[in-house]
Amino acid sequence: MERIVTGMGISEVLKTMRGTEGYYITNTARDLSQSDFKNRILLHTDLLAARAREKAGYFSLEITGGASVHVDILRKQVDPFLKLELLREKMPKTMFQTLCRGLNLFGYRPYPQNVIRLTVREFAKYVDVWRVFDFLNHIPNMLAVFEEVQKAGKILEPCICFSTGPEHTDEFYVKKVGEILAVTGAEILLCIKNHGGLGSPKRIGTLVRAIKDKYPEMIIHYHGHNTDGNDIGRITAAVENGAKIIDAADHAFTGYYGPPPILSVINDLRDYGHEPVGIDEQAIIETSEVLRGEREHYEFFESQFKGFSPTVQIHKLPGGAMGSSFEQAVKGGFLDKMPQILHEELPKVQTELGNYWSVTPGSQILWTTAVSNVQGGERYGNPSGDLKNLLLGKYGPFPFYNPPDWIYEKVFGPEWRKILESQGGLDDIEDIDIEKERATLAKRLGTTPTEQQLVIYLQHPNDAVEFYKFEEKFGKVYVLPPAIFLRRGGFKLGENLKFRDHFGKEHIIEIGPKEKSEAGEWNVYLNVDHHERVYLFKEKTQGGAAPQEEVLSKEELLDLAKVGDVRSTFKANVCEICVEVGQEVKVGDKLAVIEAMKMQTPVESLANGKVEKIFTEVGQPLKVGDKIMKVAVAD
Amino acid sequence: MKKKILVANRGEIAIRIIRAIQELGHVAVAVYETPDNDALHIRLADEAVWLGDGPRSDYLSIEKVIAATRKCGADAIHPGYGFLAENPDFARACEEAGIIFIGPPSEVIHNLGDKVMARKIMAEAGIAMVPGTQNLPAGQAGVDEALIFAGKYGYPIMIKATAGGGGRGIRQVENDEQLRVQINVARNEARSAFNNDNVYLEKVVLTPKHIEVQIIADAKGNTVHLGSRDCSIQRRNQKLVEIAPSLIKDQALVDLICDTAVKAAKAANYFNAGTVEFLVDKDYNFYFMEINTRVQVEHTVSEMVTGIDIVRTQIKLALGKDLSFTQDDIKIRGFAIEVRINAEDPQNNFMPEGGKKVAVYRSPGGYGVRLDGFVYQGYTVPEVYDSLLVKLTVFGFSWNETVDRLRRCLSNYVIVGPKTTIPYYIKLINDPDFKSGVFDTSFIETHPHLIQYDEQASEVNKLARLIAEIHYEQENRYAI
Repeated sequence: MERIVTGMGISEVLKTMRGTEGYYITNTARDLSQSDFKNRILLHTDLLAARAREKAGYFSLEITGGASVHVDILRKQVDPFLKLELLREKMPKTMFQTLCRGLNLFGYRPYPQNVIRLTVREFAKYVDVWRVFDFLNHIPNMLAVFEEVQKAGKILEPCICFSTGPEHTDEFYVKKVGEILAVTGAEILLCIKNHGGLGSPKRIGTLVRAIKDKYPEMIIHYHGHNTDGNDIGRITAAVENGAKIIDAADHAFTGYYGPPPILSVINDLRDYGHEPVGIDEQAIIETSEVLRGEREHYEFFESQFKGFSPTVQIHKLPGGAMGSSFEQAVKGGFLDKMPQILHEELPKVQTELGNYWSVTPGSQILWTTAVSNVQGGERYGNPSGDLKNLLLGKYGPFPFYNPPDWIYEKVFGPEWRKILESQGGLDDIEDIDIEKERATLAKRLGTTPTEQQLVIYLQHPNDAVEFYKFEEKFGKVYVLPPAIFLRRGGFKLGENLKFRDHFGKEHIIEIGPKEKSEAGEWNVYLNVDHHERVYLFKEKTQGGAAPQEEVLSKEELLDLAKVGDVRSTFKANVCEICVEVGQEVKVGDKLAVIEAMKMQTPVESLANGKVEKIFTEVGQPLKVGDKIMKVAVAD
Repeated sequence: MKKKILVANRGEIAIRIIRAIQELGHVAVAVYETPDNDALHIRLADEAVWLGDGPRSDYLSIEKVIAATRKCGADAIHPGYGFLAENPDFARACEEAGIIFIGPPSEVIHNLGDKVMARKIMAEAGIAMVPGTQNLPAGQAGVDEALIFAGKYGYPIMIKATAGGGGRGIRQVENDEQLRVQINVARNEARSAFNNDNVYLEKVVLTPKHIEVQIIADAKGNTVHLGSRDCSIQRRNQKLVEIAPSLIKDQALVDLICDTAVKAAKAANYFNAGTVEFLVDKDYNFYFMEINTRVQVEHTVSEMVTGIDIVRTQIKLALGKDLSFTQDDIKIRGFAIEVRINAEDPQNNFMPEGGKKVAVYRSPGGYGVRLDGFVYQGYTVPEVYDSLLVKLTVFGFSWNETVDRLRRCLSNYVIVGPKTTIPYYIKLINDPDFKSGVFDTSFIETHPHLIQYDEQASEVNKLARLIAEIHYEQENRYAI
């Protein structure tokens, strides 16, 4: 058998691949663009495509991991485990693949070892291929995942993240591969993770060749993006030089910055004498025929940036961060400065901060630092909490060289050496008491949580609770097609919506009139399975009627903090309260940690005194100026 | 001969009576107050007379109801339940005005309405009652007598106002100390509430079953019973679910209770339809409680299991006919359950939901289903009357079948607008204790979790809720 199917162990996979001519294909459904679009594809759509994708005969389908676990519960309201179960029913053979960060897994901050291990164990029940990376290529950061994946008997695929620049030599990467093999043993697949789509075909070809020269038996899986329009070139070079598995996507759904279309890759490689193993090209066409009609419903989430982006070779920002960065620029009113930020400041910051790999969460640090350098007037004058952590080595050592002293001085002040000495280095994150977390979750949900619920909760506590409450209230909504779930502008009067619920029952809902009741509430009438129902909604407050809230400037907020009135300086969520009422605090003590845009920022005391009152709690969203706590200032 | 009968009531019972009158080929006259302008009983009656603006005061006015009867030339009045139904003055006014009162004579109503008098009649007939006293003598003598009673029967004990009723003028005491103090408090309260400071004592039967017997007597004194009913499921003395026959397995005991009811009715010289209420304690001792001298809300369940139309019989008896059946003709077959679907929000302490428009009304149907209601789609439930919207009665050959049918009917009932007790009942009848027939008057109190229901728990309703929200908000706020 040449075909790789779920249930095969790593030895069998390696043996089969090594003994088979041709190359294998991973359908990167999860990663089929680098805009928000890729995250939004509903389970409903993936289920539609499942039969044809199964028939197509891929090595694997990348269908979970990255931010998708979070977006599943946050924006798609689907249980990430249920999603895998349902897809597995329709796709009994194809291996499922995930992408996870060594320290952060599917979240944005480092998790304790016991959380990482529990999470991998639960997901490994559904996921066959585990692609693991670290944005500093710091191998020790990935050890826990490596171990758990191997323990579970699943396919481990460690990554070397790829970038360009004078330090990014073949020699360096081959040495990295050696470091990986030293901890994993020989039975792995190796991924070259070219998330930005950087470098030329020639560059990728020589890298693959260099690794194959040193490790001739190595099965290399090349992952890239078509951001600059040239990924087919890189894929071709990779396969020509010995890569065995490549990533591509369905042509009707892949997008700007996404992987190239599978069929184009096949056609291209065919003329070079390479044939895909086990692939049914007709099924690939069928998949796109099924998907094409669905795409219009996702229009709202498509990247605003059409065309290609060859300047990625300059700024190296991966597509995912590109989308959100432009969004931020529009909201922040600095769209005009984008060329400067992307093409001048970002490369400079990149170099200054050690020329590491611009991928989550490192890419966010580079981006926010570049923005604040341009916007803040003073470079490194307004460092984020994550930048501080990076400089302190909390994510691991810089791969090539440390940032210059002046940056440390700017960020930490004249005493920076002492701070670096006392606080620097990777923290051992203490294991958390999982039983305590389980009890907290049980309390928040009002029922005993399942192991799966616990795992999702440990990744994203507040969003998980919100999701399970949502599911309780609205049911299993994945059954709704995007035409309903993502509908904008409401439905038409008399429109019939048909769907089958999670338990298999067909339903029809007819849209009835909307009317305002005498009590001033809005009544929405629906004919649900021929039963008329009415749903009440309170009138939305009119924009003009709401009292204008006074917005304090950042300076005013900091002045207030100096007298003990600690408030949020930006729109954020509370992720930690570090003090208790009655506790003595000094200037610089950490009072709380707030989070926005995947970044955590500590709130430090600007006064000496005693905590008098805490106004907020973990998980609570804060607006600019919302009170966090009151510190009674000591005389 | 065709008669004209005035129905001195409103809501579902007015419609129930109007139907019976019309089936008998007589003319039905409705009465109404202004808040009932849109009420269905006016539309269904052959004629209707406006009484006044009310609210309630005109339905309660003997003078206005008699005047209305005169005005339309009616021969008889059916009082229904509540309002004037058990007011002996009203029955007497009818007698004096030469109008047929469909119910017992005023004297019977009077005697049975006076709790002490009723006890006396029953005692003389040798009917077991909850141990109690006559009216307590005034002053220290009364307290002394009370203490002797307490010594004999033990606590808890109820102090009851002789003129009280409907749960008013009752207080429970747990020891001598409380008894001494509360007798005087109760007297003062009774004086101001009922203008009569007589009180008496009754031993408290803890967690009893409420079992009652429907009786019917003709003018000749032929008295029959239509079997038992279990009305134990009550919330603060308000019956919620009524069952016929009682689920007590000891048939000899049930027969004895029914025979005792007939005996009690005869002792009171009862005429027409009435209900004899008993308490049955944990050891299956039963005690006479009272006789209700009117048609009961829950008469439907007895009709379903006997096949006898009680209201039709009431009218025929009042118009001078004798009973056309004997006790031997009456067979109890199967089970019937009635639930009172009220416009109330169980999750908000059963607060009435009056004043709200019934936007959607869709009722269940099929075999063994009976509805006695008066709401219709578009009807605004008046705030000034009680909250009963419709009585759902189901019949089944076995207890399980009946419960299954009730569950099906409740689940398919759609009332949109006011909140109703429907979801509460769905939860209640799914309770294992209810299903196995194990309940007494403490059921609601000991099953507080019944209040925790989710009104739109079915999967499609959940999804529909999201679709409604997407439609209203013009976007899915959970997918932004």
